Amino acid sequence: MNFNAWKGFKSGKWQESIDVADFINLNYTPYEGDRSFLANSTKRTDLIMSKVNALFELERKKGGVLDIDCENVSSLLSYAPGYVDKDNEIIVGLQTDQPLKRGVNPFGGIRLARKACEAYGYKLSDKIEEQFKFKTTHNDGVFNVYTDQMRLARHAGIITGLPDAYGRGRIIGDYRRIALYGVDALIENKLADKKAYGEKDMSEENIRTCEELNKQLSFLYAIKEMAKMYGKDISLPAENAEQAVQWTYFGYLAAIKEQNGAAMSLGRVSTFLDIYFERDLKLGLIDEVRAQEIMDDFVIKLRLARQLRTPEYNELFGGDPTWTTESVGGMGLDGRTRVTKNSYRILNTLYTLGPAPEPNLTVLWSENLPENFKLFCAKVSEDTDSIQYENDDLMRPLYGDDYGIACCVSAMKIGKQMQFFGARCNLAKLLLLTLNGGKDENTGTQIGPKGKVFTGKLDYNEVVCELEKYRTWLCRLYVNTLNVIHFMHDKYAYEKIQMALHDTEVERFMACGVAGLSVLADSLSAIKYASVTPVIDENGLITDFTIDGDFPKYGNDDNRVDGIAVEQLNAFSNQLKQTKTYKNAIHTLSVLTITSNVVYGKKTGSTPDGRKKGEPFAPGANPMHGREKSGALASLNSVAKLGYDYCRDGISNTFTIVPAALGETPEEKTANLANMIGGYFANGGFHLNVNVLDRAKLVDAMEHPEKYPNITIRVSGYAVNFHKLSKAQQLEVLKRTYHDTL
Amino acid sequence: MTLCKAKISSIFHGSAVDGKGLRSVIFFSGCNLRCGFCHNPETLFKKGEDYSLEDVISVIKRYKNYYKNGGGVTISGGEPFMQADFCISLCKELSLSNINVIAETNGIIVNKPLMQLLSGIRLDVKNHDNEDGDTLIKRYSPFLNECKSLNLSVTLTNVLIPTVNDGEQNATALNKLISVYPECGKIKLLAFHKMCKQKYDELNIPFTFDVYPQATKEDLDAFYEKLNKTTL
Repeated sequence: MNFNAWKGFKSGKWQESIDVADFINLNYTPYEGDRSFLANSTKRTDLIMSKVNALFELERKKGGVLDIDCENVSSLLSYAPGYVDKDNEIIVGLQTDQPLKRGVNPFGGIRLARKACEAYGYKLSDKIEEQFKFKTTHNDGVFNVYTDQMRLARHAGIITGLPDAYGRGRIIGDYRRIALYGVDALIENKLADKKAYGEKDMSEENIRTCEELNKQLSFLYAIKEMAKMYGKDISLPAENAEQAVQWTYFGYLAAIKEQNGAAMSLGRVSTFLDIYFERDLKLGLIDEVRAQEIMDDFVIKLRLARQLRTPEYNELFGGDPTWTTESVGGMGLDGRTRVTKNSYRILNTLYTLGPAPEPNLTVLWSENLPENFKLFCAKVSEDTDSIQYENDDLMRPLYGDDYGIACCVSAMKIGKQMQFFGARCNLAKLLLLTLNGGKDENTGTQIGPKGKVFTGKLDYNEVVCELEKYRTWLCRLYVNTLNVIHFMHDKYAYEKIQMALHDTEVERFMACGVAGLSVLADSLSAIKYASVTPVIDENGLITDFTIDGDFPKYGNDDNRVDGIAVEQLNAFSNQLKQTKTYKNAIHTLSVLTITSNVVYGKKTGSTPDGRKKGEPFAPGANPMHGREKSGALASLNSVAKLGYDYCRDGISNTFTIVPAALGETPEEKTANLANMIGGYFANGGFHLNVNVLDRAKLVDAMEHPEKYPNITIRVSGYAVNFHKLSKAQQLEVLKRTYHDTL
Repeated sequence: MTLCKAKISSIFHGSAVDGKGLRSVIFFSGCNLRCGFCHNPETLFKKGEDYSLEDVISVIKRYKNYYKNGGGVTISGGEPFMQADFCISLCKELSLSNINVIAETNGIIVNKPLMQLLSGIRLDVKNHDNEDGDTLIKRYSPFLNECKSLNLSVTLTNVLIPTVNDGEQNATALNKLISVYPECGKIKLLAFHKMCKQKYDELNIPFTFDVYPQATKEDLDAFYEKLNKTTL
């Protein structure tokens, strides 16, 4: 292949086949300097942002949803082109014909789409109802096959948050391919694949692949039409930076029009785009002000992404997130940093446009990142509480230097790997189920195999032994449930455009998860080191525990209990692998809750660690609030012990420190924060959400929302606008440990 | 390593306000002064857990990756100089791993072998009995002279307790001390506060300073002003 648009790029094997990683490697310019080159926002950007902010305000006032198009099923060509400010926009394209107007996507399940419309005072049109009357949705398919036991486990909330009625998400299309190659070359490539697969014997697997390729192709044709509606021809490669951003964005836009996956992540585009910015800057086609302006307009579009959800969904994933995760920085396999000027520009949007939860800016941290960049990131965290960090030194050896994060903590090679999102099991509930002989502690329903109800002082060895039996039962049920879900998702809600932007042969992960790890670890520690006796009610169910004596608590860098957490996690991870997965996906595990730690806590009875029935869990892999007594670094060290080898889908840690505890001068504070992040990762930590804020500020924000319209905080793997959380979620955030000094 | 043990109340990892960088603070048990406003009443008496040197070293080493930009270990308490032998062994071991140690002390006990191994001193000047300048000089000069001869950097701190030691005469006295030891630089004021009251109650120790108001930022600013204005 050769195109005019590639003039000035170093040639390589990326010209022979689709290979964005090779293109980046040969053409990008590492940047080790500081932030001083950055430009401010332009008047144009300020004007558009003020319009967008007014829309956000209106959306908030209307209860979270500005408008819904109930007439059309969301897809690439369903709506007339939409604009925020047609004459002044640089990057164009909206999900529907109006900004923040949400489309309906019933492929996951018609009931949920109907319910979501009704929750906000709308009615799904008869036209759509009619269209879907004879259509099997993903949700229908799953429930056609779910067994009684799957239903019971789901209903009790021991397996929970499953993507069985909405899009699974967590698939990252390689949107950059459109910019680099143009859609025609991508079509040609897939046509060749289809031809090659057609030569193979038509096994069930091969037939499926051929059908999927056909779907991918039809959507590659459609995306060209979609761009044409906005007056852009994306058949050929992008010729300059503005086009490169626009072409890439069209790829993402098509994905969020077609799919309502929980997490629709962007990938790793900023360093890729830097190559185009550098070329234009060198040619004198643009200046720094214009470069920032283009990135600003791109990010404004990303901030406008919305999906229609039900209120129940928001309880699990609070704050209306889209997880438009963009991975920034990291190191290359050749030792050069992947930080470019455009890495700074995308982080700079938190200043030019103000702090915001989306896109979910994720810094890939390495010990070897340029010091200037480390300090810049720490400063951005202090100022905006809007970014998260993940350990590139742990991931790079596994995924190379062109991977990205989907959702919060899920790593995958871009365009080469995908995952089947599997939500999570509730470990605290698993312990209670064990102690109750397989019965749900709230209802008494027999969910698991029948066992004995524990009475009298609990014996650690006996509990651990019994727990293993129930873990074995649960892991098998869990993987089988996920197999059903993902088979049906592929069948009835296949991600056509996103998979068109993948290699045809992809590697898949079965991304399992756990919640309530700190509750389980502390509970077992209490059983081992203190004296714990169940309190049994008249129905023979354990309602509470009496605890005599003290016990080590997770979060204090105390191996006695941290070791229990590690052991339990590894056992769970190993057990999952005993059950075969759909499409031979590789089992992975995450310790992540999003904001569902609140709902899971609500559904879980009192636990042996002293946590009372209904009280929230700690988020992700965090220690339980208020139990960390040995300082912020000890808390970090406890979490850092959880091994990434057993949790390849990520270990989430959300960290809040009050500004005064970081040091005395502003320079000291920034340096200390950077050292805190760096030390945690050097000790093997995987992920860190950083908040630098006073609790008092949040209390005030709760009482006077109008004073803090854009207050953004990191929760669990993503950022939210504090006001978009439910009251219960806000209160839980206030309860968390705010690391202060003595 | 010697079979050395110490009474330690707790170890806190992640202070950014007890010296440079991020620090682990070892709170030794036992104090020779036992001031009524002490923020750490649990460290007043030599009780608590026995830590072997090996235990402490192995814990501290887990934090080495955080100690950049001058960060390290702060020995505090209680009064760390009351367990000087242990501290000497500790400093020697940590220096092998390039971890610096500073001490927070009341500056009464002089111990040259220990002071030789430290990277810095934070000496908290006590003047809640309205000590005049000469009294302060007499009390602290053995310690501060030793620091001077070792070229050991010293920061002087003082807990400001409104109505107790925030008068003109207190400023004059502190300035007199500083005039003899100008190398210590400006005195750093620490605000008296009562967040420790719960600890006193739990320990059943009377918190006699509960009757005084906490120091606000304004109180600190006002006293800094006094320190600047007061002449000897």
